[in-house]
Amino acid sequence: MAATATYPPPPPYYKLYKDYIENPKSAPEPPPPIEGTYVLFGGSYTTDDVLPSLEDQGVRQLYPKGPNIDFKNELRSLNRELQLHILELADVLIERPSQYARRVEDISLIFKNLHHLLNSLRPHQARATLIHILELQIQRRKQAVEDIKRRREEAQRLLKEALGTLDGH
Amino acid sequence: MDIISQLQEQVNTIAALAFNTFGTLQRDAPPVRLSPNYPEPPANPTEDTANVAEQPKLMSSTLVKAAKQFDALVAALPLSEGGEEAQLKRIAELQAENDAVGQELQRQLEAAEKELKQVQELFSQAADNCLNLKKPD
Repeated sequence: MAATATYPPPPPYYKLYKDYIENPKSAPEPPPPIEGTYVLFGGSYTTDDVLPSLEDQGVRQLYPKGPNIDFKNELRSLNRELQLHILELADVLIERPSQYARRVEDISLIFKNLHHLLNSLRPHQARATLIHILELQIQRRKQAVEDIKRRREEAQRLLKEALGTLDGH
Repeated sequence: MDIISQLQEQVNTIAALAFNTFGTLQRDAPPVRLSPNYPEPPANPTEDTANVAEQPKLMSSTLVKAAKQFDALVAALPLSEGGEEAQLKRIAELQAENDAVGQELQRQLEAAEKELKQVQELFSQAADNCLNLKKPD
């Protein structure tokens, strides 16, 4: 008694490829890569991955905006603010315990800003990794060129030697 | 782990330490006397008083150590100044150099393969001559 459903049949496109062995051009080409947004299993995804800014998520941005952000100093100042807020929360809990909510919100805001800053460092890291890989590849190629030159010269030398030995007879 | 992941882990650690600190203190704090009208709260000796006094010190020092560790990690960030454009320019330079070196490598490779073919041809001729005992031309 099989209560499970059978698998769906394969899509009917396979009939179009009947003569593929004889004539590879008689069958349709594979579809081109998708660009932009697409829907997959009911969820929509995008090929253009970009980190959404804090305002898009409705979170206030504590560090200054601008083209070049000084990541190290901003991270350090956010860390100091975080410690101050934790101390503030401890004080509030002692004196006015019912007003903890605002302090807890501030602390979570600082954490969100910290994580957003760290995430926006990732593209920089990706480019640095790419630079490193390219440098390594250039170094390997130069080494290979040197090796081939050396081997060719050695081969020429051996052939000349052999010629000399044969002529010496 | 790379430095950015370490920084992210450290941020999460600081958050967890903060929760644990406040949670533990709230759970273990002995009851306090609110008003002189009511009698003193019974001081239950179930909780070790030494423990209750030690814990805030331990936990706060752990928290501060974690924050210092975060600062140390931030100082270790290899952030090369120049921003995005400098990096993109460097990538373009490296790509051009990579192409040039790649072409040089291709040339050397082709020349070496040609020489290899020549040597193989000569060697097979010499071997044939040896086999047939013909005088070399």
